[in-house]
Order: sequence, then C-alpha cells, then structure tokens
Amino acid sequence: MVLYNASTNKMHVDEIVDAHVLVVGSGGAGVRAAIEASRYGGVVMVSKTIAGKGGCTTMAEGGYNAVLRDRDSVDVHREDTLSGGAYLNEPALVDALVHEAPERMADLVRWGAVFDVTDDREIAQRPFGGQRFPRTCYAGDRTGHEMIMTLLDRLDATDTHLYQEVSVIDLVKDENGTVAGAIALDRDGNVVFFRADATVLATGGGTQVYDISTNSAAGTGDGFAMAYRAGAELIDMEMIQFHPTGAVYPYDARGRLVTEAVRGEGGILLNARRERFMERYDPERMELSTRDVVARAIATEVLEGRGTSRGGVYLDVTHLPAETIESRLPVMLEQFLAYGVDIRREPMEVAPTAHHIMGGLRITPECRTTLPGLFACGEVAGGVHGANRLGGNALAETQVFGKRAGEFAGKNPARSGRISEGAIEEKIRVLDDFFEGSVNPADLRKDLKLTMWDQAGIFRNAADLRTALGHIKRLADKRLCAASTANLLECCTARNMCTTASLIVRCALIRPENRGAHVRRDATVTAEPGKSPFGHTYVSLTREGIEQREAMT
Amino acid sequence: MKTITIQVSRFDPAVDAEPHFEEYTVQVNEGARVLHALHAVRDNHDPGLAYRYCCGSGQCGSCAVRVDGTPVLACMEEARDGMTVEPLALPILKDLMVDLEPVIAKIARICPAPDAELPAKDEIETIKPLRDCIECFCCVSACPALQVTEFAGPTVLRQEMRLTLDPRDSGDRITDAITKGLFYCTTCRRCLEVCPKEIDIPGKAIEKLREIANRRGLTLPRHQEVARLVQETGRSVERTKETFLEQVPEVIEPDGPVRGEVGFFVGCMFNGRVPQTALDAMEVMKRNGIRVIVPHDQVCCGSPLIRTGQTAFVDDLKKKNIEAFARRGITTVMTICAGCGATLKNDYETPFVVKDVTEILTEYGIEPPTKLDITATYHDPCHLLRGQGISEEPRALLRDAVREFVEMPTQCCGAGGGVRSGVPEEAKALGAKRDEAVKATGADVVVTVCPFCEFHIADCTDVPVKNLVTVLLEGYRKKDAEREGSA
Repeated sequence: MVLYNASTNKMHVDEIVDAHVLVVGSGGAGVRAAIEASRYGGVVMVSKTIAGKGGCTTMAEGGYNAVLRDRDSVDVHREDTLSGGAYLNEPALVDALVHEAPERMADLVRWGAVFDVTDDREIAQRPFGGQRFPRTCYAGDRTGHEMIMTLLDRLDATDTHLYQEVSVIDLVKDENGTVAGAIALDRDGNVVFFRADATVLATGGGTQVYDISTNSAAGTGDGFAMAYRAGAELIDMEMIQFHPTGAVYPYDARGRLVTEAVRGEGGILLNARRERFMERYDPERMELSTRDVVARAIATEVLEGRGTSRGGVYLDVTHLPAETIESRLPVMLEQFLAYGVDIRREPMEVAPTAHHIMGGLRITPECRTTLPGLFACGEVAGGVHGANRLGGNALAETQVFGKRAGEFAGKNPARSGRISEGAIEEKIRVLDDFFEGSVNPADLRKDLKLTMWDQAGIFRNAADLRTALGHIKRLADKRLCAASTANLLECCTARNMCTTASLIVRCALIRPENRGAHVRRDATVTAEPGKSPFGHTYVSLTREGIEQREAMT
Repeated sequence: MKTITIQVSRFDPAVDAEPHFEEYTVQVNEGARVLHALHAVRDNHDPGLAYRYCCGSGQCGSCAVRVDGTPVLACMEEARDGMTVEPLALPILKDLMVDLEPVIAKIARICPAPDAELPAKDEIETIKPLRDCIECFCCVSACPALQVTEFAGPTVLRQEMRLTLDPRDSGDRITDAITKGLFYCTTCRRCLEVCPKEIDIPGKAIEKLREIANRRGLTLPRHQEVARLVQETGRSVERTKETFLEQVPEVIEPDGPVRGEVGFFVGCMFNGRVPQTALDAMEVMKRNGIRVIVPHDQVCCGSPLIRTGQTAFVDDLKKKNIEAFARRGITTVMTICAGCGATLKNDYETPFVVKDVTEILTEYGIEPPTKLDITATYHDPCHLLRGQGISEEPRALLRDAVREFVEMPTQCCGAGGGVRSGVPEEAKALGAKRDEAVKATGADVVVTVCPFCEFHIADCTDVPVKNLVTVLLEGYRKKDAEREGSA
C-alpha cells in the first residue's frame, strides 16, 4: 500500500470498504449498536483504539441504573431523571431509557456479564446521587469494564468486521445529502473510505477539551465536530457535567475520576476545616445530592478559601470497614495506593473535573439525527440527560440507545445516491494542508484546554465566554503541522477539539439562565427548572438559537 | 517541574533492522508517570514516537511497556531519572507499540447456553478475582514459559478458568486449556508479580484447571506416577540411597549453648535425593547454637501434587505433617527447600510458624564463616522469591561467605510446576537460558536455596551449583583449617 502519491505528493484513498451499517466508535454504545445491526446486514465497526480499550465505558466505575425491584418503578426512575436533568431532557428519550434499561441489563447478564448479585440471586443495586431508590447495578467499581468485556464477547459471535486503530476523520455524504459513510486514517496515516447505507455515530464524549477531565485520551469530541461539519444539528452543548470528585494529585493525573460509588458507599466530604460542608448546600441529600450541586459546592468551598493547599476538599471513607473498601472500591484503593495514599487510613483529596457532555446530536427515539443516513447513540447524542446526568444513567443509555441505533440503522434501506469524487477529494485536501502547516497540535491542545477550563468552566459569564470564543476561533485558524502521515490524526483531532469547544461556548452564550450544570453568574433569567421558559439550545452550520417553551406547571 | 533523562527504545520496521535506545532529556511535573515522560518526548522532541495510551488511570491496559526490563502500566508507574522504556516482549509494530491482536485472539470468548441464568452470589464471588484482567499483557511479556514454548500466556489460561467457573458457559474449557499449554506453566508466579491487578493466575487459574483436568484423568502420565509414589511411600522421590531421616536422630543438639530451637521439615528432595545438603544444613545449625528437632513421621508436603492439580489426598499429607510437628510442641518449623516452604506457608494452615533456613539464620545471627576465595552468583528460587517474598536474606548471607558476589537477572530455571518431569524439553530450554545468564556473570559458583533449582540448573550448566548452607559450611571448614594451621 502506498502512503502517498510520490509524483504529486498528495494523499489519496488507499482502501474502500463497503458495509450495510458502519458503526463509528467501540465503546458501550457502539458495540451494542454493532451487535444489533448485525442482525440486518453486513456491519463494519471502526475503532480508533484497540476495541474495548478506548472510550469511557471501559473506565465507568459506578454503575448502571435499571428498575429491577417491585418497590421501585420506572415512573420514579423517569421522574428522578427529569428532575436531575432540570427538566431539559427529551421526555420520549427518557421514557425509552427507563423502560428499556432493565431489558438491556438482562441482555448483558444473558451474555455472561459478572455483575454483583445479592444473597437472593438478584442483581445487586446501590444508591447513587439524585435517585430515590438504590437502583444502580454494579460490578465492583469496574462496572463499565465488565460491560465492555461482555459486549466484545457477544460481538465476536456476530459477523461484524472490526477495524481497530483506524480513526474516522470525517463523514461523507452522497449527492442526495444522505450520509454515505466516512473517511478514516489507519495507524500509519493511510486513508480508508468506508461506504455504508447507514452510519451510526457512537464516538462518545469530549471533555478532553477541558484542562481537567475524567475522559480517556480518546474523549476528544470528534463525533460532535464531524457531525457538525456534515450539517447535523446539535442541542444543549453548553451542558457539561463537572463530576464533583476528580483527583487533584499528582498534577498529571489531575481530574482522574473518583467514582460516585465512594459516596454511594458512605464517603463524606470535608473542607480543609474538616466541616461537612454539604450541610450548607443540600442538607437533605448531603453527599448524594446531584452532581451539579455537589460540584458547585466543592468549587465554592475552594474559591472561598476553605479548600486544601492543592485546591481540593477531602473525601473520606476511613470510617468504613477496610473490607468494604477493598471489596467495593478496589480500583480506587489501587489507584490511590499507587500515588501513595491509603484510602483506608487517610482521606482522598478531590475537586471537580469535566466528565460528561449532556448535549450532543439531536436524535429521535429511533436514534435518527437531523441528517438522513446518520444515527447517533451514547454520549455523542443529546437530550437524554437534559441539563444534568444522573450517575448510572450513562451506562444504561449506551445499551438502550446502542440497541436502538443498531436496530434502526440496520433496518435502513440501501442507499442509492452517487458519491462524487469531489466530496472525497475535498476531505483529503485538508490532510495535504497539514504537511504545510507550522503549529504543533500538542501546543494548540494545551492552549485550548486551559481556555475552556478558565473561561467556560463551572461558573460562566458572557464576557469570559466571548473571550473564549474569540480565542478558539484564532486557534482553529492556525495551520497545524503533521510531522508524518502517522501524525495527521493528531491534527484532525486538534481541529475537532476546537470545533467541539466552540459549540460548547456558543451554546453557553445562547442560554441566559442557570439550569442544571450550566451556571451563568450573569444570568438574567431565574426560574424554577420546571418552569423555565427555555428549551434546548441548538446549533448547526445554518442556524443557532434557543427554543422557547410554555412554562411547565 | 523536574528534569529527567530517559532511554526510549525506538524501532521503525521500514528503516531499522533492530530496536535501539535513544536518550531524551525532558521536563516533567512532580509525581509524573512514565506516560507523561513519553508525552514530553513526543511533544518536545519527536512527534513520531509511537506508543499506546488511553484511560490514563490503570483501567484500559493500553499503555503497558517495560520499564527497566519489567512490564508496567506507563500511566501508573512513576517516571524515574535514568529509566529505560521498552516495548513489551511481543512482536514490535513501531517503537513501543506491539502487535496485540494475535494474543487477544487467543483469549476465549464466553459461549452462553441458551437457558443461561444469573449465577449465584458465591459463583460470582469466585469468578470476580479472575475478571479484573484489563488485558494489558504484562503477564504475557514476562512469562518465561512463553519464551521457549507455544504456551498461549497466563491471561489466556485465566480466561479459561473464568469461563469454567461460569455456569452460563457451555464450552469445553479444560480441553482448550490443555491445547493452550496448561502444563507448560512452571508456577513461577512472575505473572502475578507484574500484574497491575494482582491476579493470582497460577493459584486461582492454572492449579485449579489442572485439578479439574486431573478429575477427568487428563493429568500428564509422569505427574500421575509422582502421585502414585507419594500415595504409596509418602514421598515424591524414590529411595535409591540412605535417606536423611535414616541418618539423623530426632533431636540434633548444638555444639555450644542452646540459643534456639526449631523443628525441621526436610522435604522429599533433601531427604532422598540430595541428603548431604540437608546434613550440611544440620552442621551449620549445630555450629550456631540452634537445636533441631526432626520428626521422623513427616511426609511429602504435597507441593508436587498441588502444583499439578492432583489434590485428592493432599489433605491427608497436611494432617500428618501438622500433627508430626504440633505433637512435639514445636512452634517454629524450618524448611531448607523453597518449594516445601512456600507450600507450608501458603497452602497450609499451621499451628506453628514456618521459616526458611535463611530467615532463621538471619534472625539468630551466625558466626561469620571465612570467606571462600570464589566469585558467586545467586539464583532466586521462584518459590522463595515470590512464594515467600525472600530475596535479601540469602544475598546477605552469601555476601559474607564469598570473596565476591555478583547479581544475575532473576528468571525461573524451568524445574517447577511439574515441568521438569512433565515437559522436560521446556525445562531444558529454560535451563539453557539460566546457563547463559550464569556464564554472563563470570561467577565460579551458582548458589541457590532450592533443591529443585539446584538439581535442574546443575543439569544445564557446567558451572558448579551449590546450596547456600553448603557454602556456609565450607566457610566454617576453611576457618577451622586456618585455625588449626596457625595453631
């Protein structure tokens, strides 16, 4: 295979792969979509990492929300989700989530997942923030890892063709404007064109655009950016969940997730004066309040000078029996021990960290985006979680909507439109430009991440957001440099990060209210979440704005 | 920020014939991990550096590399000045990136039965310790058996046991496990040592799979012979000469005042095959004021059976041995065989404390021997180093007993886990690697503290192999001879 054409020094397509359904992404949602789609035709799954190692499902620790007990009900799960989401959620998506989460859990168990069970041989459940029933199913604190290993076992039993360490860099449309597949780069920078009747975007989140983030290195928001460039509409991109508890030390591991299960198992938050400060923010729910409330409480303690010298607060489990910590929180124990902290004897230091993007592609309950031929599921889709996601709802979302996306993409008819060579050439021309640039993508990323953390973080105002947007535009205009074909991907990723960051900031400017995770210090509108006059923010190549709605009663 | 200089292995198959080290000096933050040092190399020196990473928190297993020769997760291991960073010992794609797909393909997938139901709590609890694997392949990189056989790798066998334990699985995992090299594992426990999740693959997977294989009559014939011998004679070694127990009284009094007292568990090898070494050990104890009680009704510890999965009558052996020592009111039992020591410590629940001879001698402190005029190296027996966590005591004793002590990289000699008897060609190949390592040190003598290692390495090298107690005794004899000479 030729890397690039020696005579013209131009990139070209090295390989064309055809599929009925193309699944982009190999996290929980992508694999679930591929499993389902494979019932309807040939499926190709493209993973930018070795499958099972990328994405956030593998890292998800705490759990999977599903109504499994008679004393619980889907109506309560629905209401908890809506209330937690400040009533910005799409009700039809929430309905699908709460009704189908138990069935999708049953799939996992049938396929071999090793979830914790009770003495009565039921899936064990624990309490998570913002929920009135302990409905979070778990496999120790490696729940997502358990799911992905199980899903990969199941995927292996299908005819899905898996492309590993191949990164999709742009979507391709046919003459009718239908999404017809995607262009990707393999490990060496060779160009692969995947042609499909339907494409499922399951690329996960993108809080790597923030300086402090729980996301894996793969969480760079590529799906948001690619879909936006292709013309899809995204909603509520300002809704970024800052997880209350990220590690603060060592510096390079700052932001690393400290699972909500720590609080679910009884961990308490203390400021530097050893005050249990949640009493002042949510005396009823205390540490198990919703994530937006706890994150703001911690940020406020630190901002007002009651934080630790490293800019965090204490999360303490030393009052729990050592065996509980060892059996329920083994990953936490191991990670902190590696950094010299024995959480059985001393408290952890934590601070908020960018964790999840609630916004994303606008989808129908069938996971159809606003572009024909393009489906989306998992974190790249918006609307399920509204303005704040409940812990345990994301893993459930991957399965419920992964299955739906796979099914409806699978049922999609064969595509008939022609794909013009020009469309492909245009994508590849961007790559050629990277050989002419001068800016190191690593430098650009660092700059972007700090800008987002400082000016579009937990507490926001219009002036900062405008400054951030201006700076992001300048960054996006810089000419990035690829040292070799293998480095092209880094340039594409940096470009995508700029796009995703700008979508977040644009929507943050559009929403004038405080709602869930979105806090504008200069907010002019105050309303009870349920009575807000605003609906989704939306943004696409052709329009942006905020939906007005009748105040809910 | 701090500045560190590191060596990173580079290899581009398009240009290089083989990997070479490049040196980089980089700025990193306090507490930075190896991964962050690699990022610094990429961002500031060479954007072409190829390496994998993803979660950055020890959960995805993407970033395993060898640091100073030992496989670790780059995102969890702290970066050190002067460290070397190399790819795992697998086929290299580029720089630190290795080809994982072939080994991933060997890991079995569950085949759930159509009527699969949720397992019960106790079933889940037994599976869980085998489920923590993040497929980083540190174990595959470190496993000595993989260097010389078609062994599929520790984690591959881990998965076979995980599936065996799952009532939902419908596959025939024992046959699979045997095909994938169940009997190639020497139970050296190197895999456990390097596993970021501390999964006890030898104990919780290999030995358990061998146990199930045994119940199905699939144990190797040579191993079955050993089991028969133990059942018939109480010993895993045939009597070919006067045994140790036949040569000594029940109580061996020291030469001078009594400083302490231990019971002595001799083990089959020292009793039947190399009794002289055990007799040497008794001389060393006598000289150092330690009374040794030797119950003559002791039997095989059961190690050769446990390691090969033949556990049907191991409980009888345990009972006999525990009674033999407990009945005599012995509170400390000494072993001089690393295998017996590890078994008594890890597989028994004893009413007495078990200590290796090197622990006993270190605790009491010994009369210094006259240094022998030789250069000696030390081979770590797996069952002492990893089975009992003992590495410093024998080295300290040895340093005081010879003119020069030189280190040798640690690796299993190939004798353990029933491999010497069951898969002799593998044992021989691993022994040959020990021979190379010994020769590279230039030592006159290889010293060890395990009769299996001693016997096997002696078969594989022409450099003399001695037990530490023999070296000590030779030092005492030299001392005595010098005294006599000067008198």
